[in-house]
Amino acid sequence: MTKSKHFCVIVRVWRQAGPQEPGRMVSHKVQDVSPDMSFLEMLDILNDDLLKKGETPIAFESDCREGICGCCGLVVNGDVHGPDEHSTVCQLHMRRFKDGDVITVEPWRVKSFPVLKDLVVDRSSFDRLIAAGGFISVNTGAAQDANAIPIEKDKAEEAMDAAACIGCGACVVSCPNGAAMLFVGAKISQLALLPQGGPERAARALNMVQAMDKEGFGNCTNEYECEAVCPKDVKVANIARMNREFLLANLFSKR
Amino acid sequence: MDITFLKRLATTSIGRKALMAVSGLLLGGFMLVHLAENLLLFKGEAAYNGWVDLLASNPVTPLLEIGLLLIFIAHIITGVWVRVEDFLNAPSGYEARNWQGGRTIGSATMLYTAAAVLSYLTYHMLTFRFVDHSMGFYQMVTGAFRSRAFVVVYIAGSAALALHLSHGMQSAFQTLGLNHPKYTPLIKIGGILVAVLMTGFALISVYYLLGIDLKAAEAGYQVVIIR
Repeated sequence: MTKSKHFCVIVRVWRQAGPQEPGRMVSHKVQDVSPDMSFLEMLDILNDDLLKKGETPIAFESDCREGICGCCGLVVNGDVHGPDEHSTVCQLHMRRFKDGDVITVEPWRVKSFPVLKDLVVDRSSFDRLIAAGGFISVNTGAAQDANAIPIEKDKAEEAMDAAACIGCGACVVSCPNGAAMLFVGAKISQLALLPQGGPERAARALNMVQAMDKEGFGNCTNEYECEAVCPKDVKVANIARMNREFLLANLFSKR
Repeated sequence: MDITFLKRLATTSIGRKALMAVSGLLLGGFMLVHLAENLLLFKGEAAYNGWVDLLASNPVTPLLEIGLLLIFIAHIITGVWVRVEDFLNAPSGYEARNWQGGRTIGSATMLYTAAAVLSYLTYHMLTFRFVDHSMGFYQMVTGAFRSRAFVVVYIAGSAALALHLSHGMQSAFQTLGLNHPKYTPLIKIGGILVAVLMTGFALISVYYLLGIDLKAAEAGYQVVIIR
């Protein structure tokens, strides 16, 4: 196997010591970058260098590094989750860059996700949205047989497509209005499509939408930038379903 | 009496957008009817003035006008409210920021085209609605359309309206929850078609500016679009 040619990049990264501290862009040179490295591995190497020099490493979030946990989320050269379509930034590889490239790395910059440190943001607003209704209530005890409730195949698949959302927040950040409609729409859709979501369907739609407004997320102007960047390709049809669920619940439920 | 549902309609993001969508669709419908009315100009003075007289003598017309005004006001208030909130919540402060292809020229310029359409409408009302109509509506309209400055305003206004509706029509259906692989492609095509039809207002004015009706009459042709 031939060894890939290593190269050097300049990383312009947002450094911010704490939530209340002012931040700024700082440039770091990263040597010996392999094209086979992931973008986050390149940041790991940069952090090793910074530690060796006695400097504070760059804080960034990551967990699974295989595109399914939703932890990582960066704006790379102005692209949410980097230049690859429907991908998380951990799936971005350095082969997308070339020797001498200057790479701008910024955190999610939206009011509802305040920066905690460097590239790490506080996404607890998403947790509060889920707590407002993104769940089903079940009795404890022995679980019933998985096939006891028949579910139409098409609906099961649609629900699965909505459930693919990893909660990374890219939809909010890519939205010109900072709206969380795709995230909330996906959760409302997933549960509205399944019989298990039925009992709390109206309350869920009403409560989650109102919680979303309370958290300061923006309004949807149907620009569909969220769908264009979503790493899991969650469709805006889920937003339409949320609108439908909300409007029908508002008119026809007792709430 | 519990009016929580009305409060929710006015105060939640989706409720307000629904009001904006319904009022927008009604206004779009009105514009189509209004375009059809304008086509009567081609049928001649008697037909056009006859239609205007019929409207003017109908006691329901003032009520329809007030209804139309209220729909316009509802559309403007909800639209401005949505955009002000969005301005306050929008992601900001990026050194670099790219759009990924979701937004269109129509969707990205909604606020500007809205302002342009409102100006166009105001001009239209000041020049046609709140003026002396003693010369007859046909003479007033065709006379105005022979003025170059007037027609420039009409072309710019109609273009802004077309751009506004190119996003607005399909967006309204999405907001009301009407999105399905079965009919969403049709809605999108229909929305663009309605938007393109809005250029008809400009085309009618250009027709009179170029004096096509006079030239045709000189040549002995009678232009009849509607029989």
